[in-house]
Amino acid sequence: MKRLLQILIWTAVAALGAVALGTIAFHRGEPINATWFVLAAVCFYLVAYRVYSAFIAAKLLALDNTRATPAERRDDGRDFVPTNKWVLFGHHFAAIAGPGPLVGPTLAAQFGYLPGTLWLIAGAAFAGCVQDFVILFCSIRRDGKTLGEMARDEVSKRGGLIAQLAVLTIMIILLAVVALVVVNALKSSPWATFTLAMTIPIALLLGVYLRYFRPGRVLEASFIGVALVLFVVVAGQWVADSPYLAKVFTLGGVTLAFAIIAYGFAASALPVWLLLAPRDYLSAFIKAGAIFSLAAGILLVRPQVLMPPLTRFVDGSGPVFAGKIFPFCFITIACGAISGFHSLISSGTTPKMIQREGHARFIGYGAMLLESFVGVMAMVAACAMTPGVYFAINSPASIVGATPEAAAATISSWGYPLSAGTMTGLAHAVGEQTLLNRAGGAPSLAVGMAQIFSSTIGGERLLSIWYHFAIMFEALFILTVLDAGTRVGRFMIQELGGRVWKPMGRMNWMPGILLSSALIVGAWGYFLYQGVVDPLGGINSLWPLFGISNQLLAAVALVVATTILLKMGRLKWIWVTLLPMAWLVVITMTASYQKIFSANVRIGFLSQANSLAAQIAAGKIAAAKIADTQRNIFNLRLDAAVTAVLAAMILVLLVEALAQWYAILSRDKEPVLQETPYVATQWAEGD
Amino acid sequence: MKALWLQLEEAMRNFWRGVRQWSGDSAYETYLTCAQRQLGQKPMSATEFYVEQLNRKYSRPNRCC
Repeated sequence: MKRLLQILIWTAVAALGAVALGTIAFHRGEPINATWFVLAAVCFYLVAYRVYSAFIAAKLLALDNTRATPAERRDDGRDFVPTNKWVLFGHHFAAIAGPGPLVGPTLAAQFGYLPGTLWLIAGAAFAGCVQDFVILFCSIRRDGKTLGEMARDEVSKRGGLIAQLAVLTIMIILLAVVALVVVNALKSSPWATFTLAMTIPIALLLGVYLRYFRPGRVLEASFIGVALVLFVVVAGQWVADSPYLAKVFTLGGVTLAFAIIAYGFAASALPVWLLLAPRDYLSAFIKAGAIFSLAAGILLVRPQVLMPPLTRFVDGSGPVFAGKIFPFCFITIACGAISGFHSLISSGTTPKMIQREGHARFIGYGAMLLESFVGVMAMVAACAMTPGVYFAINSPASIVGATPEAAAATISSWGYPLSAGTMTGLAHAVGEQTLLNRAGGAPSLAVGMAQIFSSTIGGERLLSIWYHFAIMFEALFILTVLDAGTRVGRFMIQELGGRVWKPMGRMNWMPGILLSSALIVGAWGYFLYQGVVDPLGGINSLWPLFGISNQLLAAVALVVATTILLKMGRLKWIWVTLLPMAWLVVITMTASYQKIFSANVRIGFLSQANSLAAQIAAGKIAAAKIADTQRNIFNLRLDAAVTAVLAAMILVLLVEALAQWYAILSRDKEPVLQETPYVATQWAEGD
Repeated sequence: MKALWLQLEEAMRNFWRGVRQWSGDSAYETYLTCAQRQLGQKPMSATEFYVEQLNRKYSRPNRCC
């Protein structure tokens, strides 16, 4: 009887999901309500979790709850700490969910709501969650080894080096692109700049409090910090209204870029307790609060989605970034569907804290489903605004024009009606001088979120406060990624440098710290500066590069996972990791090829460089701009080279892995699995 | 009614314990319990543990994109 009831309930959930998915896929004409998106996503996730993750846990991985996990065997109260599965879920989710699932879907909304939403939902269930889950499992079975160590042990030494280099490369591109998102959100906005600048003294205050007055009392310090941050969001309004202060905090893109570069250097070189850790605490609480509020807001307001399912830009001529749905939708939305970076978390802290192997399903697969849901909500928030407004905020001036009148005329001519007054009125309502040409996703998401929040609390009157709250929230946790990433990058450079010159490897040697901090900050700072001065808006070239590198890392993770599973004799079910891996290789290779060689100057780095060079040769560039153009040409060729290196890395790794797979399958050599030996758990069932 | 109240109290206590664990607020207490089990080692002070734990945590990728 109970079984029958279960079957009936799950059939109903599946049917509801199918109806909701069908509705968002085939709906045309009138706007569609956002509730359909929530229903489609949640039902799909529930069924995927109930069926697919259970299948992976039982058949592919054969999770074994009688086997002691590293947290049980090596419990030291520091790294290896057995942790309740709900707490660890929260931990893991806070670590994997960054700005990516918010920004990527917002940018991909230029194709319409449909391609991005489908990729977010299906990509997560069949690729992203699988990667996170399987890598977590592999790392648990290896005492919490990192992805790089597993690649070295299970694939080859070269595989390990490639994984390490891929991580460093992705880190540099990631840090540059997220910094660019912050620059585009803050430029010419005294309110937002003041609010974000104030989070630095607040973090320093908390740092000193936690270090000297109440060591480790994270909760009370965070409550004080969050209250202060909310106060400076409101206080920003007074700064924007004061003629003198507004002038001080109104900064251009280049100045902001240098300020962020200086901040990154300071956060990397200063003691971690002073700036980095307290900011991270603040960010974790505000992130959890904002994501929860966004979900609650969407459910309460149930906004209409005004963006059509597909826009005219599916042909690749999009103003936000150039390129067709295939492969660029799948590159633009990395986090939220599949993100290689997650494999570093799944093979980092989480495997050392898990109590039971069986929890890996809930934590690895489940947390990624939740991140995908955040992506779907970001898509809803971006698509709930008028398409004309969305394109005005996200398109660079070189395409739509720099004035409200020019932008309104261009965007209306595309078939998305927009009046200049709408943009001026909206900017005024959110307390900004302008909202035009702010490519990067953060401002348009903030407008979407502010509209949803203000429909729940405060109405039009609080729109500006909600907008700046949303900007602060995005910028705050982007900066957390930035400073934490810069510090990790510094350690990687010190470690790699230590192989060549011993003193560099000493983690507390001050000249080494300063030099490696300067190197990592210089690397991402260079790409950031290049993005800021790029006439096409920077996001057009940097975001795809980030997507390619992130998906490349995911492919690396899936290659490692497939190799391990083959060694475990799971050939029958190998398609579970093999198919998403093949898909990632296809999209990263196609996107890399197009970004390097496409004849379309908005897509191909080389053709754009050649076109600019031809313009200089033909005397079409003014003498004053020749130096700038030559620098632009160099940068484009550098981007092409970086893309080529990324593509070459995955090809080399793939060849290494194929040789391994052939040897295993043809039984040329006995597969050697580097698993820690089985130890039976001492804990009672149900602990 | 009383049983329901007790259940609610228990749930709230578990929730609070979870939030403290999640945020790291109770990390030192967890460490001390573990250190007491491992005889022969003098446990670190709260400040030493806090700084040491942060240095370890932020030397590897712990925040994703």
